[in-house]
Amino acid sequence: MRITDLEKKQGDFQMKIDTLVLEKGKIHGIIGGNGCGKTTLCKLIMGILRPDRGTLDYEGLDIRKITMTAQRPYFIQGSVYENICYPLKIRRIRPDEQKIDQWLDRCSLAEKKHQYARSLSSGEQQKVSMIRALIFDPEFVMIDETLSNLDPENLELFEHVIFDIQKERAITWLLISHRLAHIYKMCGELHFMHEGTLLASGGKHEILFENKDDRIRRFVANEVIKMETSV
Amino acid sequence: MKKQRQLLATILAGAMLAAVVTGCGAKEEPAPAEAPAETPEESAGDEAEEATETPAEASEEEAAPAEQKGVLMMATTTSTADTGLLDYLAPIFLEDTGWELQWSAVGTGEALKMGENGDVDIVLVHAKASEEEFVEKGFGVERFQVMYNDFVVVGPTEPVAPTDDIESLFKTIQEDQLTFVSRGDDSGTDKKEKGIWKKLELDPAGNPNYLESGQGMGATITMADEKGAYCLTDRGTWLKMKNDADVEIQLDIICEGASDLLNQYGIIAVSPEKYPEVNNEAANAMIEWICSEEVQGLIANYGVDQYGEALFTPNANE
Amino acid sequence: MQLVREMLDAAFSDVGVFDAVCVTFQLAFGATTISSVLGIFLGLLLERARFAGKRVVIRVNRTLMGVPPVVIGLVVYMILMRRGPLGKLNMLFTVQGMILAQVLIITPIICGMTYTSLVSKAPAIRTFARTMGASPMQTQWLVIRELKKELYFAVVTGFGRSISEVGAVMLVGGNIKGHTRTMTTTISLLKSQGIFTEGLTLGVLLLVMAFVIQSLADFFQRGEKTDENY
Repeated sequence: MRITDLEKKQGDFQMKIDTLVLEKGKIHGIIGGNGCGKTTLCKLIMGILRPDRGTLDYEGLDIRKITMTAQRPYFIQGSVYENICYPLKIRRIRPDEQKIDQWLDRCSLAEKKHQYARSLSSGEQQKVSMIRALIFDPEFVMIDETLSNLDPENLELFEHVIFDIQKERAITWLLISHRLAHIYKMCGELHFMHEGTLLASGGKHEILFENKDDRIRRFVANEVIKMETSV
Repeated sequence: MKKQRQLLATILAGAMLAAVVTGCGAKEEPAPAEAPAETPEESAGDEAEEATETPAEASEEEAAPAEQKGVLMMATTTSTADTGLLDYLAPIFLEDTGWELQWSAVGTGEALKMGENGDVDIVLVHAKASEEEFVEKGFGVERFQVMYNDFVVVGPTEPVAPTDDIESLFKTIQEDQLTFVSRGDDSGTDKKEKGIWKKLELDPAGNPNYLESGQGMGATITMADEKGAYCLTDRGTWLKMKNDADVEIQLDIICEGASDLLNQYGIIAVSPEKYPEVNNEAANAMIEWICSEEVQGLIANYGVDQYGEALFTPNANE
Repeated sequence: MQLVREMLDAAFSDVGVFDAVCVTFQLAFGATTISSVLGIFLGLLLERARFAGKRVVIRVNRTLMGVPPVVIGLVVYMILMRRGPLGKLNMLFTVQGMILAQVLIITPIICGMTYTSLVSKAPAIRTFARTMGASPMQTQWLVIRELKKELYFAVVTGFGRSISEVGAVMLVGGNIKGHTRTMTTTISLLKSQGIFTEGLTLGVLLLVMAFVIQSLADFFQRGEKTDENY
């Protein structure tokens, strides 16, 4: 999809993106400091926010085939199973029990199928929200820090999930994470945002290691130091 | 404390009235939270009225509270309060005797109940049988008759022509199933009306258009007016309603002058033997005062200016 | 039913207690139903709509939530009286007139409570619905479904206001025995007759009946919850 001349003002925050191209069938990552507009961009793409100016060209992509998972996902009142079925229900698709059970098994949530979704731990909630987003075979998936707080084991699980889907159907992904290692491992294309603007787009090596922009170099250096100290 | 609050409410009511009259709401004092709660709505309204009618007395009251001996609490029927008689008498009573009269205007049944509970010092009501029972049971000291007013039947002039024959009127209402609004609240007026039905050996409940409002006289007259119905009322409330109501009452007096329609008021001090805490001194002062020739004269003239006829006929000395 | 009528009428003075109970609940169900539909609809509308002066409208709504019923009663009385603008409808001193007055009292309460819960909870639900690809209709439906508990609470509050209200029903209904007399106006009448104990008994009866209805409603509410493994 292609975004041009996008402008959006929210209080003091001003977002301005001249051109952003998210090539179909690739895994894109957005990086940048806190408050640089990553989530706002996702909400604009999702249609939750309306831009003040500019166009979002979905290039024939049905907006109902786009989905997004949040860092703190919302759960409807009901069980894990009902939550996973919700996107199917609104599309009048009969839930494939076997498929759902496979998903739950793979995420070690089989026993919690009928538990009240809001009573799950935050890690479990994030896993359910991932299943719920992927169950209806979307074409464009935005993952806004949803995986960031998972333990390494579960993170790896979903990294495999994403690669598996990619092998099978090649959909478009947009990952937001402060875990640079995860981003580096997953994404082909990276987009660096800074204070509401897009500073650079390109391949991951180009952005992370070869970029001349001081702000990007500083960001990457800081993240590396943070990683070192947290280990 | 209570007196101070009462005074505060009086001042406040006066100030609010002044604000309304001069058309500048800005000068209103903020109301202390407990003042209105302590004063029932009615009496606050009464005081506002009092301030309009006799601004001189009201301001004297504020200026010279030291002369007051205390408060006399009276339970009375709505008719004495609704006609404004007590508003008229209270300041004069204060001036003559030094006692401040406060009253709670309720139905006769409730007024006597308040006396039975020792919540008031004196009762002024109009239901002779109940009053005598009240004295017999030892709740009251002695009953003195004070004055009477009379009842009238009001209603549309069609289909019944004005008459002085209450019996034939009530019979017609029953037979033709005309709409009749009764107080139905066991008040003095209600007892009077029920008494007439009983005397005629009629059961008004057999008339599907016989309604019981369960409310005060004013509300009942308004309802009768709305429904184009007949109702029995005391003359005082009727005149006041006819005169003062915002919406013109379209009913007329259909029946008056019958001897059955007299309404005798009695005043009884609550027994200090039963309730030592009642203000018997002030109650006695009130009885003596209201039965005096001077005050009886005041009662005889009350309402003549405003309505062209007296609302009450004094008869304490008969 | 006849038995209940006889029992009640025997237990109380001749003030038409059985009819008063019937009128009270007829009124409460009628007024609450209409107010709930109107109030929830207006609450949804108010939360969705963006227009100049919206803050004023919300403030007016908040003010109306606390309007003294007797004021509404007076206004409705003046509208419905024979020489009032709607005098031709002959609705004064009828249960319909009382329902009208109570709808005016309760609707702002339900509307305000609906609006408040929507403002705090609806945005997250809408965002979620959007990410799931729900249509606007499906989104709205999800909002209502998710706020079921809050809306239920608003409706119950409205019901409570209705059965406990006395000022407006006294003025508009006129407390006519057997027609527009409710339990609360009966209590008021009994008090004016000095019959305090019966008034108190009737008050307790009113509370007990409110409690039973509340319990029934809660029971049905909870019934749904257990299905969801709550």
